[in-house]
Amino acid sequence: MKLNEIIDIVKASGADAWEITDIKEEGWEFYFIRHKLDQNRVKLVEHIRVTVYKKSEDGQFLGSAGGEIAPTADAEEAGRIVGGLIRNAAYVRNPFYTLNKPFEGMGEVPGEPVDPAAIAKDFIEAVRAVPETATEDINSWELFVSAKNRRFVNSEGVDVTYAYPDCMLEAVINARRDGHEIELYRLYKSGGCDRAALARDIGETLRYGKDKLVAKDTPNLEKADVVFSTDAALEIYDWFALRMNAAFKVRGLSDWEAGKPVAEGATGDRVTLTAVKRLPNSSRNAACDAEGAPVREAALIEDGVAKRFLGDRQFSQYMGLEESFQPGNLVASGGSLSADELRQGRFLEVVEFSDFQVNPMNGDIAGEIRLAYWHDGDTVTPVSGGSVSGTMADFAKTMRMSKETRQYDCWIVPAVTRLKDVTVTGAM
Amino acid sequence: MKAPFSQFLAGQADGLKALIALLGRRYDYVSVLSTDSVGFAARISQRAKSVVNDTMTTERGHVVRVHKDGLYSEAAFNAFDPAHPEATAEALVRALDSQLATLAAAGVEPYETGALEDEPQTLFVEMETERLPEDEDMEALIASLSVISDEAVKRGEGVLDCIASAQSTHISKMFLTARRDLRQSYVYSEGTVAVIAAKDGRNELSHEGVSGRIGPELFAGLKDKLDDALRVSGELLSAGRVEPGEYDIIAAPDIAGLIAHEAFGHGVEMDMFVKDRALGAAYIGKRVGSDNVTMHEGALCAESVTAYAFDDEGTLAGDVIEIDRGILKTGICDALSALRLGVKPTGNGKRQNFEHKVYTRMTNTIFDSGHDKLEDMIASIKKGYLLEGVSSGMEDPKHWGIQCIMSRGYEIVDGKLTGKVVAPVVMTGYVPDLLGSVSMVSGDRAVSGNGGCGKGHKEWVKVADGGPYLKARARLG
Repeated sequence: MKLNEIIDIVKASGADAWEITDIKEEGWEFYFIRHKLDQNRVKLVEHIRVTVYKKSEDGQFLGSAGGEIAPTADAEEAGRIVGGLIRNAAYVRNPFYTLNKPFEGMGEVPGEPVDPAAIAKDFIEAVRAVPETATEDINSWELFVSAKNRRFVNSEGVDVTYAYPDCMLEAVINARRDGHEIELYRLYKSGGCDRAALARDIGETLRYGKDKLVAKDTPNLEKADVVFSTDAALEIYDWFALRMNAAFKVRGLSDWEAGKPVAEGATGDRVTLTAVKRLPNSSRNAACDAEGAPVREAALIEDGVAKRFLGDRQFSQYMGLEESFQPGNLVASGGSLSADELRQGRFLEVVEFSDFQVNPMNGDIAGEIRLAYWHDGDTVTPVSGGSVSGTMADFAKTMRMSKETRQYDCWIVPAVTRLKDVTVTGAM
Repeated sequence: MKAPFSQFLAGQADGLKALIALLGRRYDYVSVLSTDSVGFAARISQRAKSVVNDTMTTERGHVVRVHKDGLYSEAAFNAFDPAHPEATAEALVRALDSQLATLAAAGVEPYETGALEDEPQTLFVEMETERLPEDEDMEALIASLSVISDEAVKRGEGVLDCIASAQSTHISKMFLTARRDLRQSYVYSEGTVAVIAAKDGRNELSHEGVSGRIGPELFAGLKDKLDDALRVSGELLSAGRVEPGEYDIIAAPDIAGLIAHEAFGHGVEMDMFVKDRALGAAYIGKRVGSDNVTMHEGALCAESVTAYAFDDEGTLAGDVIEIDRGILKTGICDALSALRLGVKPTGNGKRQNFEHKVYTRMTNTIFDSGHDKLEDMIASIKKGYLLEGVSSGMEDPKHWGIQCIMSRGYEIVDGKLTGKVVAPVVMTGYVPDLLGSVSMVSGDRAVSGNGGCGKGHKEWVKVADGGPYLKARARLG
């Protein structure tokens, strides 16, 4: 069934409002064991998602229900699905809100042509160019390259179409010494292939692999400064972003207030967090968010002070936010020192976690250390095992950030982040 | 009643068989997995209510697997006209040839693998359920979830919100080759009560769930979980921090399941053996735990959310004893990895959905019960913790390192629970040390299947795990 036929069915359904998102995807996937091809896969799919809205009789409430209509559905099936959604929407009562309105520049948004074959070739060449050695190499890797075309339409007249690339590369790195072998894991997301960044990062990971082989047990440090210089830092900055999210605020999960410092009595660097429309090579460069709101540049936190909450249409309206949207790309900054200056004194620089997490509810951090460097005066010792813990509510007051930045797909964050007095449980 | 097999898939079958025949002229192995799974997810809280027709496993589409010149290729698609299979055959061959041209230009060689066997087989399974998600009275369900959410806020001290959620999925899958025709349908459901509470500016989340291979009738038991969720939220708000160190621990059944899953489940997924990514390959037949440790894995082990009749490669469901009284016996294996390793597949080839590749994945991963009583286990501990509440876990099959983050630990001193709670608790260590220290095992056991499991940081599938209470020694932080 064609999209326009589904739009006609939804228009005639009795819905008080509606949204439809149609994503067509051509995906190219390659799976390698060492550098031999384990499997190639192609994906030719279309996903059409419909959300319908029903107002209560008194106009105080609005309910919604959403679901997918397969391209193989006929008119009878599509009608039945939409009818079911309308019924379900009537059972769901949320305080009334409205959908996004048309915006300037809406329509067929020009973008870069996306050629999955060319992007895949770039990635393959980039990975094959990584300088492997007899003791450090790539165990296996998986490449996902997608050309996506997204159209968003709603009952208010928003109708926007744009194409974008969406890529992911998973790499498993081995290092071996005296019959002992270790592995490190990397998952890169991006718009296209940035050969230089990929070569730099995989090269860095190969070096980490070599060091992990000679790592000692992490000592029981009790409290120590911990430096983050890899993608684990994203968890830290995502915690700041979540607390400036409208839904988080309305749900009572963020006590931050616009115009007030995010960390009372802070003595460290002050975070600035900004949503931006485009970042080079990001997979999240979109003309609008998932609900058709235009993406803009907007500061969420400025110099350590909460400035503006952002979020989806429903919760933004509950907060009375104007021109809100769900940010795709974010930039965190605010560092006052260089990366080298932040790497002074005694500190533990963790470059590999099993799975570093910041609990969005309370800011608790936790992660098992797979590789870290313990800087203790003049000595630097690779260490492994044990874990870090503590809470961002405390660390936010004293954290330091480097002036230099580093990009991870849709995020730019300080290249080095230093948290003070983290609990470090040793390996033994 | 039986969960009826999808009429849509039944209507596509002849066209797909014709597609297999067309592709069979060019490739020496062709299979198709077709899926048509429907469901709902309702989520009710004080501040927002939603209902959608999607769950983690709702999908409709097809994936073709072909083999030629030692290479396996796959094509996933969701537009197919059974009256014109030749159009799809041409499009898929064109797309795959285009990929191979790009690979050839880059000088890529295949990891050569033989063709899968195609022994004749038919199977038609419609499993039992009381109700179907597509027929559910959503008005009544949403009302009952609202009552749970309202009750939590009324009764709980410092409760900001309570999210009561319910989702149910009616799975239909069909696996076809030139000589095989397997079809299955079943319903699984899961529900959660999540309480968010605050005290002195700190938020905590507690959650309790129900799950099983049954229909929406499961949700009648959801209200019974509210008391536990409220109790735990209060405990978390008053919890202290654990003093880092090594302790005697008792893992509650949910934590036993987390250990089974992270410690050994991922470590014996045999596609990792093919890549030389798992230490387990070198330990088959060797001791990896104490005599008290026996562990099963397989879709037949429990009637959970992942208790299917056949996997996504058409291998019938199994029940494998991975560890028998401390000795590692075998791993679990998808069909292609089994071919490469020269072993039999175990029915563990799973896809996130039809758009994703097959990997070796867990189904039910469960420690066997023992004969000890929980009160005796507690009484045997001078200083330690009873650990409960899964937050997350991460595997390290290459080194058998383990990371388990638990929501809380209940302090035990001189053989008694003191009432003191610590939270959160991070358990790290070396798997054989942890399993080797298992000294007591309770006679009961529980299996749960809420949430999902990734491989690395992607490929999310439904799994279930569990076991009895286990006494062991572990490093906590």
